[in-house]
Amino acid sequence: MADGTSVGALARLSGAKKRYGATVALDGLDLDIRPGELLALLGPNGAGKTTAIGILLGLQEPDAGEARLFGRSPHDLAARRGVGVMMQEVMLPDALRVGDLISQVRAYYPDPLSFDEAVALAGVEKLVRRPYVKLSGGQKRQVQFALAICGRPRLLFLDEPTTGLDVTARETMWATLRRLVKDGAAIVLTTHYIEEAEALADRVVVMAKGRRIAGGTVSEIRSLVVRKRIDCVTAVALSAIEAWPEVIAATREGERTAITANDAEAVVRRLLAADRKLTDLEVRRAGLAEAFAELTQEPVE
Amino acid sequence: MSAPPVIPTVPAQPVVAMPFGRTVQAYLSDAKYESLRLFRTPAFSIPILAMPILFYSFFGIVLAGKSNIGQLANNLFVGWTVYGVMGPGLFGFGILVAVERNQGLLTFKRALPMPTGSYLASKLMMAYVFAVAVMIMLVTIAVTMGHVTLPTATLIRMAAVMSLGVIPACAVGLFIGAYAPASSAAAFANITYLGMAFLSGLFFPLSGFLHDIRWAWPTYHLSQLARASGGMKSEGEPLVHVAVLAAVTVVLVALAARKLSRKG
Repeated sequence: MADGTSVGALARLSGAKKRYGATVALDGLDLDIRPGELLALLGPNGAGKTTAIGILLGLQEPDAGEARLFGRSPHDLAARRGVGVMMQEVMLPDALRVGDLISQVRAYYPDPLSFDEAVALAGVEKLVRRPYVKLSGGQKRQVQFALAICGRPRLLFLDEPTTGLDVTARETMWATLRRLVKDGAAIVLTTHYIEEAEALADRVVVMAKGRRIAGGTVSEIRSLVVRKRIDCVTAVALSAIEAWPEVIAATREGERTAITANDAEAVVRRLLAADRKLTDLEVRRAGLAEAFAELTQEPVE
Repeated sequence: MSAPPVIPTVPAQPVVAMPFGRTVQAYLSDAKYESLRLFRTPAFSIPILAMPILFYSFFGIVLAGKSNIGQLANNLFVGWTVYGVMGPGLFGFGILVAVERNQGLLTFKRALPMPTGSYLASKLMMAYVFAVAVMIMLVTIAVTMGHVTLPTATLIRMAAVMSLGVIPACAVGLFIGAYAPASSAAAFANITYLGMAFLSGLFFPLSGFLHDIRWAWPTYHLSQLARASGGMKSEGEPLVHVAVLAAVTVVLVALAARKLSRKG
């Protein structure tokens, strides 16, 4: 019998297709979630990230392809007992207090965290007695995070978890996520914040238009993109720099000039030849943000 | 922030079995929190608890007291108890299911390992809790001030029979909640509630066409069952009334389940 350990993947989508009317949400997506990894799903709005998670949770049926959770159907209650969820949009019963909500969700799991552990890990100690309706947007996200982790799940699905959080709350959540991964949990995280994926992810899958367009570690994704950033202080006229064939874009702010180029070495040679007094030279590989923008605009196919 | 407690946050086994006792606990905890949150929601708890009591106090104590007819007092007791018992299920399901469908709460619950059936079972138990509370107050008023001619034990037996009405009331509510948009579910529930109460002759005798179709409303069958159990004048066979209430429940639940399983 297939279970999570023998298949090697805790959750798997194979060739999943889903359309809503004329809109293609998923176009044959394959996705594996392995034990002990934090997988970041990146992609613009409408890329199919939320649909992919919905199918893995059994909330939607794929038109074609298959979803497995711990080697079982996502509709199998036993499979979902290994899963914690934080959805993008959910309203919880207003009149219940935060502590009530945590107690109620804990009761669904066979071996949940203790109430105090869940509260501490989510950093919601001060909110326990408050009615849910009185919380700010960010506090509600923290409580939803507590609900996601309180069942001691082996696999966590977090759809845009840090949207609306202040810096401290985000740091607490990141620390808890690192802790959970260290203890062996697998986490699927969708995010709009590239720096979140850069800070946390073991593996990144970039999606666009319902398809996977790139996948790998954060540095692998970055290296898929050949563009580099050159910063310096130079007297060379901006119009002259823009005219060089290797240059994609150039801007000047104050005395600093920023150049995006495919062949950074060639540009640096030209710069040094043109301006012997050039200072503060810096060459960087594009960040995940630049890589992401380039990938989703120009699908690798 | 204090140092996090040292505890394993992740289980060793991929899929942990749920002991039977914990499943029962999950059902009970859902019922508890469902009841708790509605007691704390005045927009729900005040009309559900106060309206039958206010109306019954007005008609049952004041008006029936002036008429000096015991039979009228007994009729009013049956009418307002049926009314009070149907409310929690009808509104609890009718409005909440529609709103929760709309808000994504139902979707969230479906993603969680909530035991199958606990979403509905918790609302059913909530409706019972409210209905019992209403019945206790109505029986108390009837016994102390209601001019009824029936013995207290009979009133309690009738109330117990009428409590069966919670189930078809929940079915009617579930049907409304599954099909009505969240914005108008309350209106549909209200129209259905008042319509069923008046058109089944709970409060005044019907005539003509309305009298001919009184059997179409679950409230009619429930009130006849209650009357029969209290030895009052009643129409039809108790078994037929039970069968009609059961059939209404099964059909409406099936229709609602079809809608909810498709769209969530």
